[in-house]
Amino acid sequence: MPPPFLPALDRFAGLPLLAAATPGRAFGFDILTNYLLVGAVLLALGMLGFLSRRNLIVMFLSAELMLQGVALTLVGFGRYHDNWTGVVFTIVILTVAACEAALALALILVLYHRRGSLDVTLWQDIRETGVPPARERPEEAEPIVVEPGVESYPRLTPAGVEPPHPRQPWERRRD
Amino acid sequence: MTTGNLTLVLTAAVATGLGTFLMLPHRHGRVRSRIWLVLGGALAAVGAAAFGLLLTPPTDWLASLFFYGFSLLAFAGAILMATNRNPVNIALFFAAVVLSTSGLFLLAGAQFLAAGTVIVYAGAIIVTFLFVLMLAQSEGHALYDRLARSPLRSSVVAFALLGGLLYAIVAVKAPQESMPAAESEADTAVVPRLARGSDLEAKLNTLTETGPALVYRMASTPTSRLIPESVERAVHGEPPPHVAGLGGTLFTDHLLSVEVAGSLLFVALVGAAVIVAPRRPIRPGERGLVQSTNSR
Repeated sequence: MPPPFLPALDRFAGLPLLAAATPGRAFGFDILTNYLLVGAVLLALGMLGFLSRRNLIVMFLSAELMLQGVALTLVGFGRYHDNWTGVVFTIVILTVAACEAALALALILVLYHRRGSLDVTLWQDIRETGVPPARERPEEAEPIVVEPGVESYPRLTPAGVEPPHPRQPWERRRD
Repeated sequence: MTTGNLTLVLTAAVATGLGTFLMLPHRHGRVRSRIWLVLGGALAAVGAAAFGLLLTPPTDWLASLFFYGFSLLAFAGAILMATNRNPVNIALFFAAVVLSTSGLFLLAGAQFLAAGTVIVYAGAIIVTFLFVLMLAQSEGHALYDRLARSPLRSSVVAFALLGGLLYAIVAVKAPQESMPAAESEADTAVVPRLARGSDLEAKLNTLTETGPALVYRMASTPTSRLIPESVERAVHGEPPPHVAGLGGTLFTDHLLSVEVAGSLLFVALVGAAVIVAPRRPIRPGERGLVQSTNSR
């Protein structure tokens, strides 16, 4: 068992290297809390992405991130209560997420073909009545930073130089 | 709910919220956005450290290493996903989050789900996203990628939610080892405790009302109980097969769910095919008409 050499690692002092050294309930309440905390973080960050981005595809990916958080919570609870139901419902959620991804991407493609853009603020006509439209202020956008890279220019033959004699039969002139 | 935990929860929520707000694509005045990215990243790292201190280490070093690794990878991947400008990078960070949740499933003993998550999410859904991005994307320079919708309000709402969830989760106390003894003690303050399903078995078997008794009996049928590994080794002398138990419960307790999920997949397949390519079919004998794509 490696000794803790930093004060921050003191919370790991006294722990064995492998679980076989400590029999008993491996998935206790503290581990359940760990899983719930990680699930909560994924849910909140997914919600942030959904609320603050304009790209339709990115909004949908953030919704999928929220589903990952929920799946972690379900699996944690299922293991804590010694029940398969958490795992089974997560499998059902996985299936529904796949269906949802297929249909949502099909709809996003149709919307893209209608307006030529993936911006969600173009579709504000279907908002609730009484809600003012979100104004787009392009001056608040981040500027595009064009980073000069290594440019490779194509090699062009200079004009006026006669190409070499035809080497292959199909390069010969057929008059 | 100790004061130390409350401080950690507040630090995690506020630091991560402020850091993510600074990192969202938005022009913060005349300063170059690189500085705000670095500052926001540092604040988010502080929030991640506070969050890491809220987690309790598992019972051994190796599990601790993997658990902390996967949790912090999920945290970092989610933050980078919400604040990146290029949608392809966002899809790749989502793949990193999916891999870390799959690792966490594996640490919880859900082996089939870990493999299934990688195959379905990282292997199918993200690839589909990347194909659609290829068809409908303008390389991250579009206005809608460089500008966030109301970043301050969405950050405040999301991190108020995060703070509330973290507080609610950390505030619940661990159950006592012997539940009936704890109930009989003079516990005047109502402290929320989370009992385990197997601990409640003795108590709930005495239920007489049809509702809770029926639900409990259905939830605790032999095929739906996860048999602990120690019991399985004692009885059979070998570790329990995970997929066999999962198959047993899927096709006995949840058969209807499995069939409904299959039908749902079929309906979604037909729906996606119909939505994307509504072309008039050319019947035999007709001359091929020039079909144009959907009007731009």
